[in-house]
Amino acid sequence: MNFDKLISGFFIIFAMTLNFGFFYGDIATLEQHSKYELFAAIVINIIATTLKIGDKTQIGSVLLATSLVADIQLIAAATIWTIAYYTNALDVHSTAVIISLSGGALMANVTSVILYIGETLKSKR
Amino acid sequence: MNNNSLWLLLQKMRRPFIVIVVTYTIAIIGLISIGGISANGEPYHMTIFDAFYFITYTATTIGFGETPFEFTYPQRIWVSMSIYVTVIGWFYGIGSLISILQDKLLIQEIAKTRFEGQVKKINESFFIILGYNNVTKKIIGKVLSKGFRVVVIEKNRDRINELILENYSPHVPALEADIYDPNALELAGIKSKYCKGLVSLFEDDNLNLKIALTAKILNKTTTLAIKSTTDNHSENLKDIGVEIIENPFEIISQQIHMLLNAPTLYQLEKWIYRIGDLHSSSFTLPRGLYVICGYGRMGRGLHKILNQNNIEAEFIEIDNKLGEPLNVEGIKKVLTKNADDKDVLIDANIEEAVAIIAGTNDDTTNLSILATAKKISPHIVTIARENEMENLSLFEYANIHYIFMPSRLLIHKTINALIHPLSDRFIHLISAKNEMWARDLANELREIGANPSLFEMTIDEKHAYAITQRMKKGEKMYLDTLIRSRSNPKEKNSIKVLLLQREGKPYLLPQAVIDLKEGDQILFACSEDAVDDIEYIAQNIYELDYILKEQS
Repeated sequence: MNFDKLISGFFIIFAMTLNFGFFYGDIATLEQHSKYELFAAIVINIIATTLKIGDKTQIGSVLLATSLVADIQLIAAATIWTIAYYTNALDVHSTAVIISLSGGALMANVTSVILYIGETLKSKR
Repeated sequence: MNNNSLWLLLQKMRRPFIVIVVTYTIAIIGLISIGGISANGEPYHMTIFDAFYFITYTATTIGFGETPFEFTYPQRIWVSMSIYVTVIGWFYGIGSLISILQDKLLIQEIAKTRFEGQVKKINESFFIILGYNNVTKKIIGKVLSKGFRVVVIEKNRDRINELILENYSPHVPALEADIYDPNALELAGIKSKYCKGLVSLFEDDNLNLKIALTAKILNKTTTLAIKSTTDNHSENLKDIGVEIIENPFEIISQQIHMLLNAPTLYQLEKWIYRIGDLHSSSFTLPRGLYVICGYGRMGRGLHKILNQNNIEAEFIEIDNKLGEPLNVEGIKKVLTKNADDKDVLIDANIEEAVAIIAGTNDDTTNLSILATAKKISPHIVTIARENEMENLSLFEYANIHYIFMPSRLLIHKTINALIHPLSDRFIHLISAKNEMWARDLANELREIGANPSLFEMTIDEKHAYAITQRMKKGEKMYLDTLIRSRSNPKEKNSIKVLLLQREGKPYLLPQAVIDLKEGDQILFACSEDAVDDIEYIAQNIYELDYILKEQS
């Protein structure tokens, strides 16, 4: 068992599951989405990204790229949420933007996981 | 960015990042879960953003105070704990990030990448010069002034700083790397189509050979100027296919040979190297007994030349090992003693000698030998080897008849061979000529001036537009046209054509009636004004028309 692989696999999958948990629900109703889950998703995503820094392999670079995409989308979602909240502009429209941004990030997370699984299957050990 | 160490550095950044993220997260979670009381006395919970904002300025020790409302005691307890965690985490994280950014390896990698970019941006002819020292410094200055670019590889950081301080214009990119490293040579652009040559003039012959080999493997077509101090190495370099092999001691021996037989040739050579003019008439070295101090690489070269000229010589060498081979050959004894000693010089028949050559590799010894020799025999001809190139030369003040400076010879030879290939060829061709020939040529050149300029031209579209246009129409153009005076085409300008090279074949002192072909390279000796005239006639259609109409 490779401890490094365990850690990075854990964070990659955890990032996806958390993000899915946040994303799941009606796109127009903010009450169905927990801000704490979004916060957790951002933190775990950032950690997953960090774990990929400096990976020289081809697959490592692609994983880093997908993680970065997820980070950017999630942070954008959180920023829009914060601004809308403090300016009292939290309507259906901004809610839809927040949720769809996290949906996009979810796609990136899924890609990460697929790549990760593919790499694991490919290795003989 | 294919360097493994760089990736390792990036991997090292993971831990500080994660420490920051984790400590922040813990502190934020605590803040949003612990309840507070708002200004109106109502209970409230911090939003995620509030908590993030608070931690951001607290962990970085900026400390804007308690926002959005004054904290309750449970909140303050949590904040005091989290300050220790986050501030330490922040300092650790930032500290290691900065230390990684300051890592020597990383800085070197960045410098390398920047150097690579600078070299790639050069889109004019450039030379790669290995090592930065007094000799290459002079070469760089000269090469730059002739409109070429230079790239330098140097191992020593201090030397590179020296180069940077020199503030060359245009900029000279310098790489700190092992000189014989093929990667470094590649980074320096040896494979570039603009790379016109590589100069390697190190003391160490083996290093030079290694560099020549590597460079030839990387790019067969670049001109290499490599120093060699022994025949053995010169042979090796020739086998590899090195174009310019520079052996300063061989040059010195040849110059001594010239001075013995054809001093005017020596004068011409000095003039072509731009270190002397044709003004003064030259003296022959006397024939008779020579005393030569130092039987190293220079002494051996001199020995060969003096033998050729049937001149007797006494050798003095302090080093037993160097003195031996000659004793084995049994031609003449080498005194293995310190030449810097009056009695030893007297032993070597200094009183009967006509000339003394101080050729050791130590300048102080050389000066002192000659001073002693002059005291014993005031009319002796003194010849010195000057090793160190310094701004103020003691040799010039020591009243020495002939000073030979290997490093300066290298500079002139390199510059000539790289930038003025025709002049170099010319020197090579005339070295076989005799004194009569040289004197005739020198007299002709003196008519132009004491120090005529040298001008090289290639007959092609870029350098001789008007001429090539005419030739394309099928007209025959003659060398004669180029050397006409523009103010009076009926008369010849003060120009002497030294060499015409056609398809690699040299024509020494060609006749004016010779017809020109495209690709001809011509070497002119002429006055400054005449250079303009030649260029005008070659380039400008109307000037050429005028000359052709009026010349006969």
